[in-house]
Amino acid sequence: MSAALDKMSTAELAKIFAGFAIQQYDHILIGEVKQTNRYYHKMKAVELELKSRPGDQRSVLIALYDNPNPNVKVKAAKATLAIAPAAARQVLETVAATCYGPEILEAGMSLTNLDNGIYKPT
Amino acid sequence: MLSADPDIRRIMALRAIESGLLRLRWLAAATRFEIAMRRHDRALKYAYNSAQPRVPRGQPESGQWASDGTSSDSVRLAGDIPTGDSPEVPKEAPPTTRLRNIAIRALAARFGPGILVAAEVGSWIYDHKEEISAYFDSPKTLEELQSGAETPEKGYDIHHIVERASVNENGSEDDKVDAAENLVRIPRWKHWQINGYYQTESDEYGGLTPREYLKGKSWEERTRVGLNALERFGILRR
Repeated sequence: MSAALDKMSTAELAKIFAGFAIQQYDHILIGEVKQTNRYYHKMKAVELELKSRPGDQRSVLIALYDNPNPNVKVKAAKATLAIAPAAARQVLETVAATCYGPEILEAGMSLTNLDNGIYKPT
Repeated sequence: MLSADPDIRRIMALRAIESGLLRLRWLAAATRFEIAMRRHDRALKYAYNSAQPRVPRGQPESGQWASDGTSSDSVRLAGDIPTGDSPEVPKEAPPTTRLRNIAIRALAARFGPGILVAAEVGSWIYDHKEEISAYFDSPKTLEELQSGAETPEKGYDIHHIVERASVNENGSEDDKVDAAENLVRIPRWKHWQINGYYQTESDEYGGLTPREYLKGKSWEERTRVGLNALERFGILRR
């Protein structure tokens, strides 16, 4: 657990998570893999910090379902699949069905992998 | 320690920068365009009728469509969408190639096929017209995609359904990976984004990338995933 993340409020962590996802989206759009993966680990650290807090505070990320950035939607949905499976899945299905960018690939493949059991959110 | 993390500092700094005039101008233009596109979509969705009366000025729902008694959905249309906006996207190209690439793909992802209308406004977008046009191709059958691989076309790339990077190191799959049935012609940007996806770490593969996850899997399993990716990205119709 990062000491810096440990000191942040859950609301601040949600903002940081969204900020990372927005930054990551630029890299996804143009296929910058190294940077994309760097942000994956940063978002994962935030997610784990929220999960470690009493009551599993990943629920704060549900508020990001309505963020206009499609990568924020997808990443928030995936981070909350274990605690809000139906709502999170609905977000992925909506993105897969209505968006245009690379987010439809990630959302769609996540749905496929949920259905075939490869993806087991924890 | 993340307190010294340059990305956290960058995000904080970006919040300040995002209030800068340049970004606001860009966002405002993009937003106006999006609003106009949404208004157009909603107008179509809710059977827009310009003759439908509006609630008069001074009343609580002033400006909104008055109900014509046939649909409750139509009441909210005018209130949702501001008036007086014209379709517009940034006229000036971002200053670097990288930023232009991000901007044009973000615009395409955000506005969909409507971005082609915007090409009349920002001439810099014309530099990408073949890629944009290809990006919004309707899904095709596998046979059509395979047939297309025989004819290169601007805006498209030849894509391996089973990734070349996944073939056995002993060379036993070299012929299969370059065989006609493994090759499809797909939109260039989607090709690049699929390649990026295959190299992106993800929870669903236990923290591995799809490419790492598929290493050593059967040819059939790699084909299944490759076809799924094409279908999920709106390239393949099955």
